[in-house]
Amino acid sequence: MLKSEIKRLVRRHTEIGILFISLCLVLLFTLTSEGRWANAYNIGTILQVTATLGLMTLGVALVIGTGEIDISVGSTFGIGALIYLWFAVRIDPVFAALLAVGAGALIGAFNGILVTRTKTPSLIITLGSLMIFRGLAIALTDGFSFSVPYKERDGFSYSVLGGAEFLGINTGFYWLVAGLAVLLIALKMTPWGNWLLAVGGSAASAHSRGVRVERIKLSAFVVCGVLAAFAGTLEASKLGFADGSMGRLMELQAIAACVLGGCVLAGGRISLPGAVLGAFVLSSVQSYLVVTGVRPQWFILLLGLIVVFAALGDRTLRRWSLKN
Amino acid sequence: MNKQTPLIQIKNLDLHFGAFHALKNVSVDFHAGELVGLVGDNGAGKTTLIRVLCGIHTPSAGEVYFDGTRVKTFHPKLAIDQGIETIQQSVGLCDNLSIARNFYLGREPVKRFCGLPLLDFAKMREMSGRVIRQFGLRENVSVDDEVERLSGGERQSVKIGRAVEFKNRVVIMDEPTNHLSVREREHVNELALQLRDQGLLVIYITHDIFQVHRLADRIVIMENGEKIEDASTETMSAEALEEVIRQGGRIVEKRDAV
Repeated sequence: MLKSEIKRLVRRHTEIGILFISLCLVLLFTLTSEGRWANAYNIGTILQVTATLGLMTLGVALVIGTGEIDISVGSTFGIGALIYLWFAVRIDPVFAALLAVGAGALIGAFNGILVTRTKTPSLIITLGSLMIFRGLAIALTDGFSFSVPYKERDGFSYSVLGGAEFLGINTGFYWLVAGLAVLLIALKMTPWGNWLLAVGGSAASAHSRGVRVERIKLSAFVVCGVLAAFAGTLEASKLGFADGSMGRLMELQAIAACVLGGCVLAGGRISLPGAVLGAFVLSSVQSYLVVTGVRPQWFILLLGLIVVFAALGDRTLRRWSLKN
Repeated sequence: MNKQTPLIQIKNLDLHFGAFHALKNVSVDFHAGELVGLVGDNGAGKTTLIRVLCGIHTPSAGEVYFDGTRVKTFHPKLAIDQGIETIQQSVGLCDNLSIARNFYLGREPVKRFCGLPLLDFAKMREMSGRVIRQFGLRENVSVDDEVERLSGGERQSVKIGRAVEFKNRVVIMDEPTNHLSVREREHVNELALQLRDQGLLVIYITHDIFQVHRLADRIVIMENGEKIEDASTETMSAEALEEVIRQGGRIVEKRDAV
């Protein structure tokens, strides 16, 4: 009886695996770092990194939910950061953020339209746009960086957009919590969410029930672009500068966070809280390597190992839960 | 029942998939309040024809009229909105979604909260459970369980329940009794008759001419993408129709020549 209830729980909540991993890692890092990892300052830093990576991850998870993938988010992040900083010194930062987010929406629409109209695999299209917009970012900055001096970044707008802390936590983290709540409601409680998961589960069946498959995919790409650009905005607001390489390789981290969080790359099964926890785990691992003096170059190798083991573990857990 | 104005009228329909000619100059009328058996061997074009009617395929040539109005755009959403519900063999259910979510996919009931359309879960669970259990869903399966866990018969029961629940004008059943037990099969057949008696057009696709002959008012036989026979069950016996299927178009040609 208890076993069947546990199986039902695992079937319905794909984030259970990452929740378990997170708890184990938090315990491990706390016990083995002699207070260097589990202190208020470091946790605050981890949450700030989680905020930007997490927002990007939420968007990628939605695209994965439709059975597609977006690997251009690192470049969209960079473009968002650059546009924000370029305009933030000229107009109010809130309007600058809106322009950055608008650019993200356009990049998402560019990806979505190409994928749905040409029926080309999204991996190829977004690989192309990853390079196009990275190239654009490098060309725009021309080897320099965009920056806003620290003393000019003390206004309310900067603070709200990730440039300051509230109750000891970077304001970007509150945006992540709000984004997660809104998207969770949209995914689980609205027809749009039902259509999105249906498209990822079986596009042919969703189509036969009258779901506009292409529109749903396009909407997921647009939301993904918006979130990646907004994450770039928050990061730029925090750092005060951005260059052409901003956000490089973050696409890999975002996809890894999704896989860790129980999102199935074939589509139809995603967990938004799981994806955010995945981002938290990656930020925590990165931070642990730094505070324990391990060279950060090991991070990518560790990231790969974590993703492989998490994917295998998740697969095993799901098979077990489906057995009668 | 007005036999003069067909609910669905198909005129000289052609459909190509690349070089493959799937439907060849098919013309057939379907009237409200009749149960039509669409019969033929595998690859005869039965499923392809109904996929045009339910908006999945757009014809290459020819005309389709619904209630006297020519259909210009083909999409499942438009067909569903017009009241055409289809129980298809291979598509229609998403394994990753719960039974209740599948049941209402594409026509989800919503409750407005601050203008936001939120799914009406209470209605979705209550209605889907009540309807589908009539068609053989086990008591220990919750409507919150994913369709992935269901047996073939239970999957079919979700599709049938869905077609029955929404008050439609046309119900197309593509091999609806596959994977069903004898009792469930009888129930589905009874239901097809009930729907017909309520004034709906029921198109029943099957291989089994004897099964559908008992139910149908009319039988349309297809072969290699062509309509080769369209006869009333009052004028042609099941055995005669079986002979048409066995011999293909040849027997019809001979009869017409005589």
